Amino acid sequence: MNESTMELSKLLPIIAPFFVIQLILVIVALVALAKTGRTRGPKWLWVLLIVFVNIIGPVLFFVIGRRND
Amino acid sequence: MSALLKAEQLTKAFGSTQAVADISFDIAPGRCTALLGPNGAGKTTTIRMLAGLLQPTGGKLSYAGLKPGQSPNSLLGYLPQSPSFYGWMTGREYAVYAGRLCGLSAAEAKSQADSLLERVGLSAAAKRPISGYSGGMKQRLGLAQALVHRPRLLILDEPVSALDPLGRHEVLMLLRELKQETTVLFSTHVLHDAEQLCDDVIIIRNGEMALQGSLEEIRNNHRMSVITLHTEGDIRSMQWCMAYQSGAYVKELRRIEKGMELVVTDMELARGELLRQLAKDEIRVTKLEFGHSTLEELFMKVVSE
Amino acid sequence: MSQWTIIWRKELLELARSYKLLWLPLVFLLLGVSQPIMTYFLPDILANAGNLPEGTVIEMPKPQGGEVLAQTLQQYGMIGSLIVALGFMGAVSGERSSGAASMILVKPVSRAAYLLAKWTAMLALVWGSLAVGYLGAWYYTSLLIGEVDAIRAIQALLVFALWLSVIGTLTIAASVWLRSGAAAAFSALGLALLLSLTASFLPRALAWSPGQLPGLASGFLLESMPEAAGMIIAAGAVLTAAVLYAAVWRMRRMELP
Repeated sequence: MNESTMELSKLLPIIAPFFVIQLILVIVALVALAKTGRTRGPKWLWVLLIVFVNIIGPVLFFVIGRRND
Repeated sequence: MSALLKAEQLTKAFGSTQAVADISFDIAPGRCTALLGPNGAGKTTTIRMLAGLLQPTGGKLSYAGLKPGQSPNSLLGYLPQSPSFYGWMTGREYAVYAGRLCGLSAAEAKSQADSLLERVGLSAAAKRPISGYSGGMKQRLGLAQALVHRPRLLILDEPVSALDPLGRHEVLMLLRELKQETTVLFSTHVLHDAEQLCDDVIIIRNGEMALQGSLEEIRNNHRMSVITLHTEGDIRSMQWCMAYQSGAYVKELRRIEKGMELVVTDMELARGELLRQLAKDEIRVTKLEFGHSTLEELFMKVVSE
Repeated sequence: MSQWTIIWRKELLELARSYKLLWLPLVFLLLGVSQPIMTYFLPDILANAGNLPEGTVIEMPKPQGGEVLAQTLQQYGMIGSLIVALGFMGAVSGERSSGAASMILVKPVSRAAYLLAKWTAMLALVWGSLAVGYLGAWYYTSLLIGEVDAIRAIQALLVFALWLSVIGTLTIAASVWLRSGAAAAFSALGLALLLSLTASFLPRALAWSPGQLPGLASGFLLESMPEAAGMIIAAGAVLTAAVLYAAVWRMRRMELP
């Protein structure tokens, strides 16, 4: 157990960018959500989806979340 | 003066439904024409054909002064009933984009857009996204983008019918100015708007031509003399009205509350005759009017026939 | 400046304002990067999953770099095409049903230019996103798994870009033909699926089918190329051109609200 944790900490630089990109995607989606006028369904639900559902949450929001005027 | 736009036997059928049938008219340069008719008469279909959005199933449209290879659309400015823009663009971006699409240079498009937005009163909102505009603002932006390439013919579909009274007033004032500068064709189901602005009217009904001509001409040709009589409504007066024998000069007799209305062919004869009888029988007249039929009445008659 | 360029710039601006210019490349990048990372950590993940007696040695063949890149392309073939179809399903039908297209097309604008500007903007974004994601995958693969032959990797990328172009073109054409965006995405994906299914069931009879494109792309990486490579690529290009031509043809005759 100890060994693999050590190994993971060595490899953190490798997986860190992956999480950073995910974070950027979440932030972009949240900014878009804040700026958009009307959404399909309540906004708070979208916040939960975007933050807690990896990748698919933000993508769903971008594809079907916004109503265009 | 030759026609700017000539429509000959314009016809449009959707499947087996004939939306517009055999309509012919000319739009003379410099005139303001109203395409008038009740809802569902085929106004929008006609306008969409003129704008090139629909292909006529029959008939012909020809524009004067078109250079070979030039698209008729370069002569036209068009504003649909409820214009739809790109909500993510600002008003100014849209007006500039419209200008560039019509072949203006970047500098020209910008200066045209700015002066037109100023003119339609959108300068303050020019840098806001269109998604936040009200109906009246959209209509005014629609006018600005339709005018950006200085079209020779401005085609408007029900430009004021979706607006509140204030927006309506604003757009009508703008149109009054614009008709000094370019040829205007607009559709409406409100006669009053047509009367206020137009030189010519084309009245259609059930997709067919009902009446067309200049407003003056129509007013004169179809003007009828009308006598309206109101009494106090007492029994004797009412009985007199009921028993009234119309002479040969009366074309139409309508009973109205406490009186009657006569459409007559010879006003002088009718006036003398009626006054004598009223005096002789001592009818209690409250109001007696010798006048003419209004355009509204003509419109109602033409449209409901 | 030509009309096409003006519309094209508007399309790019729209892609930027609707955040497509950001989220599409980001999602492709995430998909691309996750494949080599997952592959690399798989033995560790299995080892930590528990239920294994002390001292168990997991024997797993260490995959080649090319294999991992080919798996990434497989991901793009499924999720990537879904995203392309969903991202562009309303390209024409949305503007048409809102009436925005009528406002533009009554101007002296060629309908072909209008459609081609949309199409090229779509291509630019799809190719860009694919390239970004694929480069990320390639970088991680050579870092964690092993080197991949550069020429082969680039050949695979180009062939796969053609396959995504076929899907994007089908989507835009469907959005010209159909009124609903969802129907457009559904039919474009359905047609793409039909192409690749028929190609894999009838590899001989349909050796040149554009449905072989994803297989060809992986083939470059796995060094098991189908023989008809040139034919497949040509068929893909011809199909794209034909679908685009049909869309322009329809666009020219379309009646607008």
